[in-house]
Amino acid sequence: MTCSPTRLAVALRELKSERPTVSAGAATGLRLARVQTLALTRRSVISEWRQLGNVIPGIVFPLLLAAVYTHQFTRVILLPGFPVVDSFLDFVLPASLVQSVSFGATEAGTELARDIENGFFDRLRVSPCTRLPLLLGRLGGAVVVAAAKGVLIIAIFLLFGAEIAGGPAAAVVLVAAAVLLVIAIGGLGQVLAIITGSQEAVNATFPLVFTSIFMSSAFFPTNLMSGWFREVAEANPVTWIIDPVRRLILDGWSWSDAGQALAVPLVISVVTVTMAVVALNRKLGSS
Amino acid sequence: MGETTRARFDDDVVIEASGLERTFGEVVAVDGIDLAVTRGEVFGFLGPNGAGKSTTVRMLTTLLRPTGGTARIDGHDVEKSAAAVRRIIGVALQDASIDPLMTGNELIRLQAVLHGISRSESRSRGAELLARVGLAGAAGRRVATYSGGMRRRLDLALSLVHEPSILFLDEPSAGLDPTSRLALWEEVRRLNSELGTTVFLTTQYLEEADELAGRIAIIDRGRLVREGSPEDLKSMVGSPTLRVDVDPVFLESARRVLVGFGPERPAREGRLAIGLDEGATRVAEVVRALDDAGVTVSHLELDAPSLDDVFADATGRRLEGAEK
Repeated sequence: MTCSPTRLAVALRELKSERPTVSAGAATGLRLARVQTLALTRRSVISEWRQLGNVIPGIVFPLLLAAVYTHQFTRVILLPGFPVVDSFLDFVLPASLVQSVSFGATEAGTELARDIENGFFDRLRVSPCTRLPLLLGRLGGAVVVAAAKGVLIIAIFLLFGAEIAGGPAAAVVLVAAAVLLVIAIGGLGQVLAIITGSQEAVNATFPLVFTSIFMSSAFFPTNLMSGWFREVAEANPVTWIIDPVRRLILDGWSWSDAGQALAVPLVISVVTVTMAVVALNRKLGSS
Repeated sequence: MGETTRARFDDDVVIEASGLERTFGEVVAVDGIDLAVTRGEVFGFLGPNGAGKSTTVRMLTTLLRPTGGTARIDGHDVEKSAAAVRRIIGVALQDASIDPLMTGNELIRLQAVLHGISRSESRSRGAELLARVGLAGAAGRRVATYSGGMRRRLDLALSLVHEPSILFLDEPSAGLDPTSRLALWEEVRRLNSELGTTVFLTTQYLEEADELAGRIAIIDRGRLVREGSPEDLKSMVGSPTLRVDVDPVFLESARRVLVGFGPERPAREGRLAIGLDEGATRVAEVVRALDDAGVTVSHLELDAPSLDDVFADATGRRLEGAEK
């Protein structure tokens, strides 16, 4: 077999012209995935906005609880071993925030289950949209609502005299951690939505999420707990998020606390969203 | 030469299924069907509820993996090249499943973005599509306020945003009022004749299949039982059908008389039907024979073969909802 210089030149030219085409194809694919995720996020935000009534209990209830506890626990903060705080309000801020966003966190799963139940998910699936944008887009609304709730709750706490020793950067970490937590819980809700296709099944997980907040360091430091409850609280990922966030509020800025506050929900988010993608792949293969 | 012709024919087959099968546990929903729909056809997929129509459509549109056999859409395997299939098909599924919280405009734009259509283009195309399906005035309203017919029309518009060359319509006129149904038929005809869109239409309405489809496949219990043009299928049934309603006490004596004139055909309870060669010219003779046998006839009609007769001939049953 021989190859003339002309043919070789043509072959090389073809090869060269193919390369950019391949990478351009991948870039176009990524750009399209980003645009699709944004469009689905927009839809998810619109859905949240049009059901704004659902958001109100998630703001009112934690604030009410914080107000009640702050007045009830005026002497609790004097207990030996309790963090040094001016008011229980400073201590309870991260708990109120986590509690508030947890109200809407299962929403991403519920909304996905609603799409599956009413068949709209099939319409999305027959479009050339890959699975990750379908899932991330559905989380978008919950993320935007969580960020807005975070800003609102912090503003109200500051208005009533709470102080954040870590400054504005700590406040940003606080909101970011809450947003990541919503993705983590929302991803889990999506796994359930995909497996069961039922809004009721996803909603049924809310008490579990709610209880897990009470079984953490949210309202009481773990060093003042005892027995099995303390073990559960210390093993509870909610504690791993609340403790560093609380140190940012009470003790001041620390890179390691900020890192932990963000890394824990981030890792859980990656795990739950991956689980949702796997569940979706399995579902599409088996149903 | 022969090979070239075959290759060209194969190129023109845009929906192709071979031994396509889907089981759900023990239940066989689709039992090894073969299909070949050519470019530019309106193909009717006719069958009663639960026959396997929607399951077939879901497999052809990549929503459901087949448990056996293969299917290709314009040369792309539905399993291995699902993304390529999704780019060229439009799908309007049963029940017009649309997010009720969104407006028509928002949904059209979302659909356009998912297909990679630019914002400016999606705006103009969306407006044109919504106007064409008669929803221009309702485009800014939430879908929750739409009637069933409006949702169907929006669903059709959504499935056309990316100008698909192959359109799947699963029971498109189920639940529509007669006017909306006629408008939908008109739109399907226009898409096919003006844009050359291949249409794969499932229906349980004989009239719809008869009106729209150039070729029909009849599916029953997961199997294809007949396939051909409506005219060919009807002519295969042969003679017209004579239907006679009699009082139940005369049923057996009427049957004895009627089977002397032609083969008995399936009919609803309280009614007898036979295939009557030579049709109208022998009706008087049948009536006399029934009269001689002392049978009182309450109703009698003679029909040219319909698709329902084709279905009955193939399955021994009538289609649900068919009057005869």
